[in-house]
Amino acid sequence: MATLVVNGARREVQAPADTPLLYVLRNDLELSGPQFGCGLAQCGACSVLMDGKEIRSCVTPLSAAAGKEVTTLEGLPGRWAQQKGLSAADAAKTLHPVQQAWIEEQTPLCGFCQNGMMIKATELLEKTPAPSVAEIKAAFTTSGPSAHLCRCGSYTAIIEAVQRAGAMMGGKR
Amino acid sequence: MTSENRSVFGAALSRRGFVKAGGALVVGFGLVGAKAATTRNSLDASLPESWIEIHPDNTILIRTGKSDFGQSTTFTAYRQIVAEELNARFEDITTVVMGDTDRTPDGSGAFDFLGSGTPNIRKAAAYTYQALLDVASQRLGVAKGQITAKDGKVSGGGKSFSYGELVKGQQLKLTIPVKGDLTSLMGLTVDGIPPLKPVSQYTVIGKPYRNSVTASKVAAKEQWATDVRLPGMLHARMVHPKNLGATLISAGTLDKNKFPNAQLVVKGNLVGVVAPTEWEAIKAAQQVESGTKWKEWKGLPGHARLFDYLKRDADWKTTKVTQSDKTKGDVAPAMTGAAKKLSATYQLPYMKHAPMGPTLAVADVRKDGSVFIYTHNQNPQALRGEIAQMMGTTVDNVVVRTFSGPGHYGRSNGGNAGAEDEAVILSQAVGKPVRVQWMRPEDFQWSTQSPAALSDVEIGLDASGKMIAYQIDHYMPAMQDDRPIGAVLAGMPTMAAPNEKAVFVQSTVNDIQDPWLYDGVRTLVERGHGTFQVGQKASPLAVGLRDHSMRTPGQYQQNYPRELAVSEAAALAGADAIQFRIDHTKEERAIGVLKAAREASGWETRPAPKKAAASGGLLRGQGVSVMLRSATYWACVAQIAVNPSTGAITVEKCTIAVDPGIVVNPMQLKRQVEGGTVMGVSHTLLEELQFDESGITSRDWRSYPILKMADIPEIKVVLLNNPKVGTYGGGSEAANALAAPAIAAALFDATGKAVRRLPLKPEYVAGVLKA
Repeated sequence: MATLVVNGARREVQAPADTPLLYVLRNDLELSGPQFGCGLAQCGACSVLMDGKEIRSCVTPLSAAAGKEVTTLEGLPGRWAQQKGLSAADAAKTLHPVQQAWIEEQTPLCGFCQNGMMIKATELLEKTPAPSVAEIKAAFTTSGPSAHLCRCGSYTAIIEAVQRAGAMMGGKR
Repeated sequence: MTSENRSVFGAALSRRGFVKAGGALVVGFGLVGAKAATTRNSLDASLPESWIEIHPDNTILIRTGKSDFGQSTTFTAYRQIVAEELNARFEDITTVVMGDTDRTPDGSGAFDFLGSGTPNIRKAAAYTYQALLDVASQRLGVAKGQITAKDGKVSGGGKSFSYGELVKGQQLKLTIPVKGDLTSLMGLTVDGIPPLKPVSQYTVIGKPYRNSVTASKVAAKEQWATDVRLPGMLHARMVHPKNLGATLISAGTLDKNKFPNAQLVVKGNLVGVVAPTEWEAIKAAQQVESGTKWKEWKGLPGHARLFDYLKRDADWKTTKVTQSDKTKGDVAPAMTGAAKKLSATYQLPYMKHAPMGPTLAVADVRKDGSVFIYTHNQNPQALRGEIAQMMGTTVDNVVVRTFSGPGHYGRSNGGNAGAEDEAVILSQAVGKPVRVQWMRPEDFQWSTQSPAALSDVEIGLDASGKMIAYQIDHYMPAMQDDRPIGAVLAGMPTMAAPNEKAVFVQSTVNDIQDPWLYDGVRTLVERGHGTFQVGQKASPLAVGLRDHSMRTPGQYQQNYPRELAVSEAAALAGADAIQFRIDHTKEERAIGVLKAAREASGWETRPAPKKAAASGGLLRGQGVSVMLRSATYWACVAQIAVNPSTGAITVEKCTIAVDPGIVVNPMQLKRQVEGGTVMGVSHTLLEELQFDESGITSRDWRSYPILKMADIPEIKVVLLNNPKVGTYGGGSEAANALAAPAIAAALFDATGKAVRRLPLKPEYVAGVLKA
């Protein structure tokens, strides 16, 4: 059994300690944001934030997440609401600017990889509110355990959405 | 038929109660959920409400057998098209039902959504509109010609009704004429020619509407196929054969002490493990796999010897050679008399569709013999037919429900994605719903691939540099193997493996797929040579390297050699590659996209190669390609830099000009073109299936790399809205195929060396440059 904080709520999980966090999130906690893409930390579809840092939940054992704060795609609106001090009522009808920008730029094609893309964008923008194109490319290519891969080729749209989200979050260049 | 029935534009209309028409019971206009008619678990496609429901609250629901796989078409273009034909608003269409075999009328696959301008849903909407006018005429008391219809309302004779008011309680009868076979590759087609709204009156088509499913995907509210959980469901992992010809000697023993809740299922050469939790299923399958013994098998040429094998050893004699209908003149004497000649062979490797998520499905084989499948599949009705065949039952006992998932790029457009049949077999064996999820290596090693191909080209130029003779011979193994792989391994009934006698896609025949554009060439021969899949006949499993159509299928394999050869011929003629193309075609729209790409890209009009002083630094070059596909004209200009010592290529910019006729949705089309271009650059620079004499050795994203964000070019998309064409062509394919010939031509321009095999990996390019 392990206790972790997922999207702001304390959760107790019965799964064996070596279970990859991804299966715990999807099967035990019924969260559908992180996707199984490779199970090898090579694509980024399963990304979540752990204590604010992007990790690959497909290779992170439950034991390594115990006691940590995990944010999934579902938790991005709450994370933003908390950062901005929004009321519970406002928070409930708010998307994270990254999600909003993804809609406005019509970024996803099939959308399967976009969970990880939005998690990565959130991690980037929390540290670098107005990234250059080169910084965005570096974040999505070399900053994590592997590049974030998109087979549909939405990279151009992702760059545009990250820039839009940064502007919405108040980032100035 | 009653006396009040009449035929309107091919559709039978009737005003009386219940009548039999076309073998189907015709019921009232769609106010409630559509009703099944002739076949259990199917909709009757002749009923209007099977396609379109207009509700009393003025909302509209549409149904299509075509599942959206990221093209956005069913959620944007289809809503725009229906709204246009009905004279309703885009926002009125609040629900799109797609893909479920018991809830959609027409089948077919996630390809050719726009059907060269008249997809089924457009005709269904046009027929429905005529029926609506009929009711309106009666209610308003004016002739149909005096009715104004706009924004979901009809007016005339001083009165006005919303569509919802109009259809409420109505008993209008309309039979939509359909033909075809629901569970075949192409499904049902709506027949006849209903009157279509004039293009000049369009108000919805051409606007950049958003994809309605994007918001739910982005907010983690979408139900993906990966999310499907049924009561009592077990998780499964497969233990696939050691290689593509390995038969089972003995399955490993499941360690019940370690995995007390797991079960082993063995059927023929199919081995699977089920357990209540996913992690137990994974670990138990690994434990079983370590003890499972397979016969050794070698029967593939290996990727290093592939093109030698295709050229020398493959059987090109059994399958009929095809010729394009554009064949003209006598090539041989023209070639003999040519002032200059290009003679070259071009090679294109096996590539993977490589969806971001490995295939998965949940199946529930129920006690009454019915089979329910929950999956993500490009052709659910075809899958339904394949599963019925496998189970020895009829299609009315099989239901396939479709959910969102990763793009498949054609891999499942003939029905089977990989996991569905295995989930059915395991569910039947254990008597519970079973979820089969393939792991990443299995998805590379047990799925189909886009077939390798080679083409021999000869081009003859006259003294003025004009092409007077063009001959191309395309060689490609069978492109579409839709046999469910689990059924093959388990020894259960499937369709035949691709063969020379089969018709249509399951055949080994290699049809000419790339429409010829250079009608200025006096003599022309285009031939297609087909053969069996590599290893198919040698493998004791009858498997080998199974192929499947991939985005721009067949045409990709034929356009790459043609366009690269034409660029090389332009250089031989001392001509600019774009002007050379323009000078050899009479097709205005081809000329239009070439000129648009030339202008938008900053193309330098001059012959290739560029006479650049090699200063030890990067060399730069430009290249072009052009294509006609699905009634859309495309041109691409690629601008690259290459390091001549390492062979590393940077694609700096791709400019794509697209003329689909009418642009239905500029925002969505632009995103499709950008995505396809990135995929095309990825194919060109990186992608090649690795395999040895036994099986596929590409197993993950390291051994099958695809393009990363840092390596994308600047992409410029030029959309040419061309309403005078009067219809709309497809936009989700083609873009992925344009990059390869344009980039290879740019490499020739930069270096003066023809590099005629894909992918353009640095070590290969450096080797050619040094030679």
